[in-house]
Amino acid sequence: MAQNSIFRQVLAFLVFLALIAYWTQADYFGFEIIAEIGVFAILAMSLDIIAGYAGLVSLGHAALFGTGAYLLAYFSVVLEWPVWLAMATSTALTGLIALIVGGVVTRVHGIFFIMITLAIGEMGYEFFFQNRTLGGDDGFAGIDRLDLGFIGVDLMDPASFALFVIVMAALIYLLLLRLLASPYGKVLAGLHDNPGRLRALGLPVRAYQTSAFALSGLIAGFAGTLTAQHTLFISPNLLHWTTSGEVLVMIILGGLGTLVGPVIGAATLVLLRHELSEYTQYWGFWMGLFLIAIVLGGRNGILGWLEWGWELASGKTRREALAQAKEADDAAS
Amino acid sequence: MLRLDRLVKSFGALQVTREVSLEVPQGVRHAIIGPNGAGKTTLFNLIAGELRPTSGRIEIGGREATGLSIDKRARLGLARSFQRNNLFLSQSVRNNLLLADMAAWGTGKRFWPLLSKERAAHERAEAIALQVGLADDLEQQVSELSYGAQRQLEVGLALIARPKVLLLDEPTSGMSPEETGRMLRLIDGLPRDLAVLLIEHDMDLVFSHADRITVLNYGQVLLEGSPQEVRGSDVVQEIYLGGVED
Repeated sequence: MAQNSIFRQVLAFLVFLALIAYWTQADYFGFEIIAEIGVFAILAMSLDIIAGYAGLVSLGHAALFGTGAYLLAYFSVVLEWPVWLAMATSTALTGLIALIVGGVVTRVHGIFFIMITLAIGEMGYEFFFQNRTLGGDDGFAGIDRLDLGFIGVDLMDPASFALFVIVMAALIYLLLLRLLASPYGKVLAGLHDNPGRLRALGLPVRAYQTSAFALSGLIAGFAGTLTAQHTLFISPNLLHWTTSGEVLVMIILGGLGTLVGPVIGAATLVLLRHELSEYTQYWGFWMGLFLIAIVLGGRNGILGWLEWGWELASGKTRREALAQAKEADDAAS
Repeated sequence: MLRLDRLVKSFGALQVTREVSLEVPQGVRHAIIGPNGAGKTTLFNLIAGELRPTSGRIEIGGREATGLSIDKRARLGLARSFQRNNLFLSQSVRNNLLLADMAAWGTGKRFWPLLSKERAAHERAEAIALQVGLADDLEQQVSELSYGAQRQLEVGLALIARPKVLLLDEPTSGMSPEETGRMLRLIDGLPRDLAVLLIEHDMDLVFSHADRITVLNYGQVLLEGSPQEVRGSDVVQEIYLGGVED
């Protein structure tokens, strides 16, 4: 278990280094991909908290993501607030909305939870689709990026913005890593395993599920404020259930409930989509095959395979260590 | 500590619990016996809050608990072990105990300290592991434990909450004689300030370890008394030895 978590942290660091290395080589298109990976890594981590850790699979997660994006647009463009204030308010407000939604959706379980999150997500989609102030189905443009001029960084420069997003993703990873190692985080993981037993022991299960939903929504909202600043144009499609599905694919592909797995899943999916679509129109087909191959292996996504490989590689040395320990035991007795 | 007052549970026309009243004071080990289908587990589910009674009243630690949720009853000092092991299988014994500890003590709200640094919780987990005979298995994954050891952990999870009332649902079911012996020593060693309500099939065990016995049949209390009284009663002879039922 402890070894496992060290492996994951090293892996997360390697992913970060790889992104930085890519960044130093990237052209304009590369920066776009890096920023997209960063945004979806944050979104995927936020979904992992509820779907992977707490065992609540939501198909409405993109609605929170899109809400964060639209709120940023509303506050910063319509109300002309400074972007930093709009970011903070949008993130907090999305978290608050998730808290309220979480209080409702955690009343049901399993397939009904998936359905009710889907329904609420589609309500959000409809709302922004019809809302004329925010562009309706035409989308909404004219969004500005955060002004970091006071530290000499111009985020309108694609390279700076890409770096900014992956640094944000790294900070959120570290924050969640800490949170998930706390009593609260361990209880969330326990809820996935056996909510009934925790309730019988006195845990107010729904309060925990609701708070996890709110936390997840808060971070999804933050990812939304970043995507709005990335593309500078937003449309209701951000909230559509197919976006939710895509994020779900990311975390399953990467490895549910592992935090770093969803980051790897996000990077893989974004990269594959861009790379494959250069070679073939049928990129979705090949992506599907790849996903099936990973999932059918019976391991927990790409991370499951990596851990398996690591154990295989380190298994030999461990057997040697065990043999040595046994020899020492025999000698002592 | 635990008081049931004319508890009734019906599913449609079927009454599975009929006017059951009983009282388990502090320190008493009270056993419920009865043939299969007598409504023993239903009674436990009513007490624990998994089922709502049709009528009647439940008190835990002197507080009305009839309408309370499962987790609120647990916070009043009720803990239970389950007839079928109900554990966190993918986790270690230590983590199982820690989870139970956090659920029972409300420390799961703490989101910034690291669980690995929560000394008090770890000490409680280690003490309970010692008490239920799993001190050497703390780092074992639960799914790899023997069935008997899982049963011991099942009781450990209930004990770490330091309950006032403990419900044990067939603690020795499916155990080998050796494992049963270990479980009995564990039950004998339970703190004396605890009220224990126990469902058990093993008559020898019941007669030698319970202070009071309630005989349940068709959801109804046939008899309540000391082990001697129950052993000598005709009713029990009839149900268990006469074989006139079903």
